[in-house]
Amino acid sequence: MTSTLDAPVSAAATRPLPKRRRQRNGPLIALLLGPSVVLITLFIVLPAVYSIYLSLTNTQLTGFAARDPQFVGLDNFAYLLTNGDFLNSLGQTATFTFFSAIIGQTVLGMVAAILLSRPWLRGKGLFGAAVLMPMIVPEVVASLAWASVLSNNSEGTLNRLTGLFGADPTDWLQVVPLTSIIIVNIWRGVAFAMIMFQAALEDVPAELIEAARIDGASALQVFRHVTLPLIRGPVFLYLLLTTISTVGVFGLVYFLTQGGPGGQTRIAAIYIYERALQFSQIGIGSAASIILLVIVLILGIVYVRLAKVEV
Amino acid sequence: MKRNRAIAVGLTTLVAAAGLTACSAGDEGSDGPVTITIMEYQQTRIDIVESLIPGFEAEMKEQGRDINVELIADQLNDEQFKTKITQQFIAGEAPDVIDMGDSLVPGFAGAGYLAPLDEYLDDWDGWDHWYPQFKDASVRQDGQIYSLLNTSGVLNLFYREDVLTDLGVETSQPQTWDELIDRLVEVRDATGDTPIVLPAGSAWGGGTWNEGFQPLLGGTDQDYYDPETGRWDLESPGWEAVFDLYADLAEEDLLPVQDLLNPNPWQPTKYEKFPAGEIQVAAQGTWGWKFDWGPEGATPIPDLTEKVSTWQFPGLRDGDDPFGWLNLGGVYTIPESSEHKEEAMLLMQYLTTGTPLAEQLVASGAASPRDDITDVAPYADEPELLQAGVDQETSVFVPTGDGSDQIAQAVASATELILTGDADGQEAYEAFVADATELLGPNLVKE
Repeated sequence: MTSTLDAPVSAAATRPLPKRRRQRNGPLIALLLGPSVVLITLFIVLPAVYSIYLSLTNTQLTGFAARDPQFVGLDNFAYLLTNGDFLNSLGQTATFTFFSAIIGQTVLGMVAAILLSRPWLRGKGLFGAAVLMPMIVPEVVASLAWASVLSNNSEGTLNRLTGLFGADPTDWLQVVPLTSIIIVNIWRGVAFAMIMFQAALEDVPAELIEAARIDGASALQVFRHVTLPLIRGPVFLYLLLTTISTVGVFGLVYFLTQGGPGGQTRIAAIYIYERALQFSQIGIGSAASIILLVIVLILGIVYVRLAKVEV
Repeated sequence: MKRNRAIAVGLTTLVAAAGLTACSAGDEGSDGPVTITIMEYQQTRIDIVESLIPGFEAEMKEQGRDINVELIADQLNDEQFKTKITQQFIAGEAPDVIDMGDSLVPGFAGAGYLAPLDEYLDDWDGWDHWYPQFKDASVRQDGQIYSLLNTSGVLNLFYREDVLTDLGVETSQPQTWDELIDRLVEVRDATGDTPIVLPAGSAWGGGTWNEGFQPLLGGTDQDYYDPETGRWDLESPGWEAVFDLYADLAEEDLLPVQDLLNPNPWQPTKYEKFPAGEIQVAAQGTWGWKFDWGPEGATPIPDLTEKVSTWQFPGLRDGDDPFGWLNLGGVYTIPESSEHKEEAMLLMQYLTTGTPLAEQLVASGAASPRDDITDVAPYADEPELLQAGVDQETSVFVPTGDGSDQIAQAVASATELILTGDADGQEAYEAFVADATELLGPNLVKE
């Protein structure tokens, strides 16, 4: 038997309002929504449309070319999709997103949420606060803290730890730059995953778990066949949000490595920044942003499709 | 419904009133005082310009002009400054006077962000005192002048004379790079250090071109840019020779490759290892005497002038002589959008004349671009700066124009290939040509 588990929708909520009432509330609704609509139009819709326009031109920010930008059609897109540096940056973005967000944050966030839902766990407040801390800390402070941890001299926290075992100081951001920023991003994002999964786990009916236990299911089987299908929606919602935010990560990576060494951590956001602002090629930078936007949109659609729960 | 409308009308009126009030707050009567803004982004420059502003305001008062100056002090590195000021130019919000590196001027002037200064300079007696080479170098490819030089100097190789002497390494002027490399190998073998730092790679930003590659190129080849046509000759022979030099230095483990690949590479090289004597030679401008290693500098070296000395860059190819590279350091500019150009020009003239200029030169560690400052204190009391001023006359300089940003970018990428071991000199040169050709476009490359 197949049934779809959707939240019950009350008839009252879907019943249309009477015409007179709608007319009476019209100005108030317009007044309340108006500022949001104006702000969204001004700061999201128009820049996005302008960015699409720029991506079709050879606009530069400096030099004589800046005075007379030309329409170049899809040339910027053709250039980027055959440009090794850009394709590398997409590859690095995919690696960074997959390991830090999809694997790292999601798995560790789930583990943390499950641990916090255990009645036998002592010191939940302390544990929860420790996990939440990275999310509260401003990005610059987090970057500074990790720059200190990963510092290449013997005073770096990690080098002090490895030094206890007789190891020489290592320049972690040189030797394993991508792994380093993946770990930093996992650390930063695990709290949000934990909060979302904790809320989802609380909605799982205890009777279902107990029934499965009585039927002889192990803890892993309960999680795999009962809990996970029931929280599939929130899990995919989290994956969607974390993918979008991780693809756009800039400050953390820029502060720690600036895309180096040798372009090993030049993720797409760094590439776009370099092209658009450092090298003043705003047309190419905009085209790269549009490509990234399309990729994220495709991923979003995939997640939304996968999130439809059928048992 | 009426009440809702009333609320809406009330809110609209309130917002409109607030907007009008905000707009009117910025207006100044045409007969009242004029406030102009000046932007500085380096702490040393912030401090010195801040101290000079009251003198300018007082002088203007004596002349019957009521001009107030607001200093916009925003401590940034060069890349951050470029990004920020570009946004301000585009938004039409740039300060009335901007202190920037001369290397940024071609790009900003080309884009139309800067106001031409020719008319103001023609009417100003002070302009006659600028050294001719600086006046010539200030003319951009459209024949106009957009900047007023406030600091200049010479790029040379600074070396730790004390360390080399202790090691028994020759300290006379090396005539060729081969000769210098032999000495550097001696230092490397004796200390295990990577003994020379030349800006290279992407992390050094525009400095890779301005402070490393271009001086080396200009010393061996002055035909890589044609000011008449405004085109870059990417096949000019000096390019490959310089890439080969970088590759030789990297291959011999003479360059601090790891440091150069990290963010802020000047920090471990110029601010840690050179002061510690662990890097013994550094490509460096006159500002090293003050801004970097002076008593008030970023990393002071005690007894600096006894420990550190300078060589000219050695000759790179057969027939080349040692040379210094003329450095057009900082310039004052006025944005085209400024509504107070005349007042801004008065401030620039004040800051580049007499004691105010002398104080800036000493604070920044720079030589004078003018011929009438040598006996003005405190500049007159600085022998290293005065010597740099003399050396300026014989130093090499190749004016360039539109496309220098793109060349800087391509050079940074190509030298990074050498640092990462992904290319030798010739491969780096080929990568540079491909990159630069694509970035510059057909109008800026010599066919």
